[in-house]
Amino acid sequence: MSCGSVMTRVVPVNKVEPKESAIKISNLRKVFERKGEEIEAIKGIDLDIKEGEFVSVVGPSGCGKSTFLHIVGGFIERTSGVVSVQGEEVGKPAPDRGMMFQESTLFPWRKVYDNVAWGLEAQKFPKADIKERVEYFLKLVGLWEFKDNLPSELSGGMKQRVSLARVLAFDPKVLLMDEPFGALDSQTRETMQVELQRIWSESKKSVIFVTHDIEEAVYLSDYVVVLTKRPSVVKEILKIELPRPREVSIRKSYDFIDYRNHIWDLLHEEENVKSIGGQSNAE
Amino acid sequence: MLSSFKKSRFIVISLVELLLFLSLWQLLSMTDWFPTYVSSPAVVLGIISEFFMTGEVFPHIGISLYRSIVGFLLVVLFGTGLGILAGFFQPIGRFFDPVVSFFNPIPKIALLPVFLVWFGVTDMTRILIIFTSAFFPCFIATLDGVRGINKLYLWSAENMGASKFKMLYRVVLPAALPKIFDGWRVALALTFVMMFSSEMIGSSTGKGLGFMILNADAYGRTDIVLAAVIVIAALGFLFDRLLIGLRGRVLWWQNR
Repeated sequence: MSCGSVMTRVVPVNKVEPKESAIKISNLRKVFERKGEEIEAIKGIDLDIKEGEFVSVVGPSGCGKSTFLHIVGGFIERTSGVVSVQGEEVGKPAPDRGMMFQESTLFPWRKVYDNVAWGLEAQKFPKADIKERVEYFLKLVGLWEFKDNLPSELSGGMKQRVSLARVLAFDPKVLLMDEPFGALDSQTRETMQVELQRIWSESKKSVIFVTHDIEEAVYLSDYVVVLTKRPSVVKEILKIELPRPREVSIRKSYDFIDYRNHIWDLLHEEENVKSIGGQSNAE
Repeated sequence: MLSSFKKSRFIVISLVELLLFLSLWQLLSMTDWFPTYVSSPAVVLGIISEFFMTGEVFPHIGISLYRSIVGFLLVVLFGTGLGILAGFFQPIGRFFDPVVSFFNPIPKIALLPVFLVWFGVTDMTRILIIFTSAFFPCFIATLDGVRGINKLYLWSAENMGASKFKMLYRVVLPAALPKIFDGWRVALALTFVMMFSSEMIGSSTGKGLGFMILNADAYGRTDIVLAAVIVIAALGFLFDRLLIGLRGRVLWWQNR
């Protein structure tokens, strides 16, 4: 299905048909060169994410899950493989893949309102449209009354909510989130997860969500992708069949704990496995 | 409220410091410990007021300010502009890195004979000396400022569909501005230092504070020398404060 030009959209949120492929990644491979030595970070990842799906990626630390997301976003070049969004191959960073980072990247010299408007201005949205969208998405994340504040006047959680509004405002085809709550305290993080679930269920965007927090992954996702350690491949893809919308207390349910434990086992299996291929200093 | 309090506090502190300095100087000049050719502040202040009463100092101030300000504006234009380009576009940066290491340590006043042969005893020569001296601190501060920008700001801007040009003036410039202002401040002070040095050559117009000092020195009038030095210091002070005021306005988001 066609998405049309961003300029012509009137409704803030782009409604999509379910079950079409949103992001397709095949044979993605990444080799770094460091001090003349080749390091294979990603051996080969294949993923097919359907429209409206929330997919988390977890893996042992240093497995290259952030690198993977940065490649999908186009910030780092891939060595080989194909990434396509709604059937079209993509490369350099573009607004079709909205990116959110762990650390706030709100511009400190712009007020909250102007930060959310930034991407819309860069993409030359019509003025009236910008106003409407900024208001809609700041209200969606519950921070409209802070529109005249500077990012430095907000807490960490509020900053990330503004970041989310900023990226949703320009209506990307998919959302890429790189440990967006990783720098928040556990209380705030839980609130943010609830908020994200609500906002995601309203926008119905496809999301790739990288995290090192197993519970976060289970709570939010339709699928959890577990990566092996470097050079990484997909170890297992788990379908999380918990009913939505999910209450915070779902964490206490046996199903939830089963998923959690299973992923925990997978990750610890990886930690204990000796490195394979590429690396000679495994002992 | 706070900023007006800070402002009045700054003025009080400045005045107290000035008074302390002048009274110490006055005390010392009354002992025999100071050589007689260091005039007392009372004498020097008398000369300064005479400068302004007769108006004879104004053409000197005018021409000196003209040279320093033109020099400074050229530095702002080229130092900042090239610094941003060199910081943002890696090949340009790689081109400039050795150039900076080579030319920066050269005392620019040593180039004076070359400029003199080239342009004669003209304002062109003087402004060139000012420009070449103050250029590097500005250029280097800008370059560092741009290179030090959080990479994620640039990634986000790219992600939001900004063109390279838009990124330059909507992200790179504001993000590097605090550092750029540091560079401007050093450059501004240097333009005043080099203004004096550049006026030591010739006297094509016979005007300028540097010329005034040299001339007075030739007649052994240390009181006039000191008076002119104080006028230069006062001008430097004034422009430094103006720049700091401008910085506060432009970087409004830093002190809210």
